[in-house]
Amino acid sequence: MRRAVATFLGVLTLAGCTSTAAPARDPGKVTLPAKKVSVPGRLYLTKSRGLYVFAGTRLTRLVSGLTVEDPAVTPDGGRLAFAQVQGQSSVIVLADATGRNGQSITAASGPEGSLWAFKPSLSSDGQRVAYLTDRGKQPSNPQDLQPNDLGIWSYDSGSKESHRLVLPVPYTGGDSDPAYRPGTVDELVFTTYLYGGRPLLPVARLTWMSTQNGSRIYLSPDGERNFEPAISPDGRFVAFIHATGTTDGLYVMPLASSYSREPRPAPTDSAVLLQSGMVAQPAWSPDGTAIAFLMLVNGSFDLFIMRVSSAGSIHPVSAAEEITHGSFLDADSRLAWAP
Amino acid sequence: MNHTGVTPVARAAGLRRGHLVIGGIVLLVLLLVGVSLAYLSPVLALLESHPSRLPRGVPAPATAPPPLDSSKRINVLLLGSDNDQKFQANALLSQTMIVVSIDPAHRDVTLLSLPRDLWVDIPGRSSAKIDLAYAEGGAPLARATVEKTFKIPIHYYAWIGLNGLVRVVDRLGGIDVDVLHPVLDDNYPNDFSASGYGTERVYLAAGPQHLDGRHALQYVRSRHGDLLSDFGRSIRQQQMLLAMQQRMAGMDMVTALPNFARDLNGHLKTDLDLVRLTQLAVFMRGLHAGDVHQAFLTPYVHDAVSADGQQILLADWPAVNAYLRTLFGGDLLP
Repeated sequence: MRRAVATFLGVLTLAGCTSTAAPARDPGKVTLPAKKVSVPGRLYLTKSRGLYVFAGTRLTRLVSGLTVEDPAVTPDGGRLAFAQVQGQSSVIVLADATGRNGQSITAASGPEGSLWAFKPSLSSDGQRVAYLTDRGKQPSNPQDLQPNDLGIWSYDSGSKESHRLVLPVPYTGGDSDPAYRPGTVDELVFTTYLYGGRPLLPVARLTWMSTQNGSRIYLSPDGERNFEPAISPDGRFVAFIHATGTTDGLYVMPLASSYSREPRPAPTDSAVLLQSGMVAQPAWSPDGTAIAFLMLVNGSFDLFIMRVSSAGSIHPVSAAEEITHGSFLDADSRLAWAP
Repeated sequence: MNHTGVTPVARAAGLRRGHLVIGGIVLLVLLLVGVSLAYLSPVLALLESHPSRLPRGVPAPATAPPPLDSSKRINVLLLGSDNDQKFQANALLSQTMIVVSIDPAHRDVTLLSLPRDLWVDIPGRSSAKIDLAYAEGGAPLARATVEKTFKIPIHYYAWIGLNGLVRVVDRLGGIDVDVLHPVLDDNYPNDFSASGYGTERVYLAAGPQHLDGRHALQYVRSRHGDLLSDFGRSIRQQQMLLAMQQRMAGMDMVTALPNFARDLNGHLKTDLDLVRLTQLAVFMRGLHAGDVHQAFLTPYVHDAVSADGQQILLADWPAVNAYLRTLFGGDLLP
């Protein structure tokens, strides 16, 4: 009897707990909103580790059968780079704009064991590829654990050699999001993962580096989480994500005209373009008038575009426009936008 | 002569109709009970699987649980264990210990992580790491240890194993988490291998993303690449609880609850009854992100080595007690 009473009470209580169900997660489907927005140029993204490109309102799946993350393009859109995951390792692939005729520029394993490689970024001339890898780590096993954080390396298309640009701080996960400054081959912006504050907490700092002499400066303060920098095509602005405990924001800050050791101002409220629950992976349009990003809406990461103007201080021209709807895009994989 | 003007035949027909109506109502009630039982039987099966007797020498809970509709705080001890094939089912350490403190009066929740390596007095035993309490005496001893050590009255407990966690996250449709640092682990235990002894390589990019159950488990469990070690893991565990709560807020609980119960059968132990469980689910579902507060003892503990050579954490107890008073006010045990 008690069981029956409890059952009834449970049913009655639950009766107030229905809601509109979140859209179903379909690994193979990218859906568009009722009001379609045309995307100028070609915007690359991934869903369920498949590579897609948007052009206008048309979406095309590229390179079927490959497990792909982090597409990147040259400013002219002629060359595409991406990370290809192969079991428990990954390599960087250079390909044409359709993802075909790909060639691995990194190895899936080395003397140190299986290797990861992610987040390629092409220099303006297409000759260099900055990317993340755990190459150079110490061999590790459960009895002798060694750090395997990701460092930033650079591949030179001329010599076909890679060399390390940034040695990661052990036990931080390493650095991430390398991006060459457009128009340069020796300036890099990336995210440095560290611990800061008291007690120590995970933090993320935007870092500006001269690859000529290896010197670095932080573009964002300690004790905060600022990450995923994306540099505007004219090299004047950095869009990035600023995370607080409860919300993420899409911010933009200016970048000085040349590399300098002068301390940079911390991001300010004037640079806020958008604040939302979760925002990720900003990418500039080739003409610098819009920023694409992924935003969590109703449990799905979808693609949005925000038009911006840099007349005076940078500011949004319109509200963010929804490009996909209920499509569950990979928010941990970069976007890339080509003419 | 019938003074009512109704013939006996008509009265008999009326009685038959009355019997039919009553019979119909009884049938409907029985049907409703049957459907309800069928609907909730997985939940009831899950909730009835916990042991009700206290092991010898373990003190009873310090206080009776107050009703959720009162203004009294309710504390639930969440326990989590590696329970793959490597471990004996009746001797699992509690790698995760989080006190979920629900304050109905102020409509907020505090998540307090207890460091698993904290050196404490376990009732009826000698001093040890706090995670040993669950291994030695199950939930009753873990509860008694927390009550004795921190003076926090524990009204309920819920223990979940690794597979249970994966299933819950998958049933929620995954969780959306801002991964705080890149997660790299070349020696992550592959809990899903046949022997339970294999390892696999794990990489999770930093930043906001969607995680399915398996990757959510990797995120909260890996600590090889984290300088903050167990503290880092506690932060990530609380992140996951918050993400699960937010995911739950958008769910149709009527449809979901029996499925959750089926998924969790054998992977969850709790002394919550059905009514309290549903009340808590409804309460948690209605919370907003700002209503849930995270709390850690990390500033008040330091590394040490025990007499038998274990790496442990020792607490600055006056500081811990002062911190707990700020969290729980007058709701602590005397």
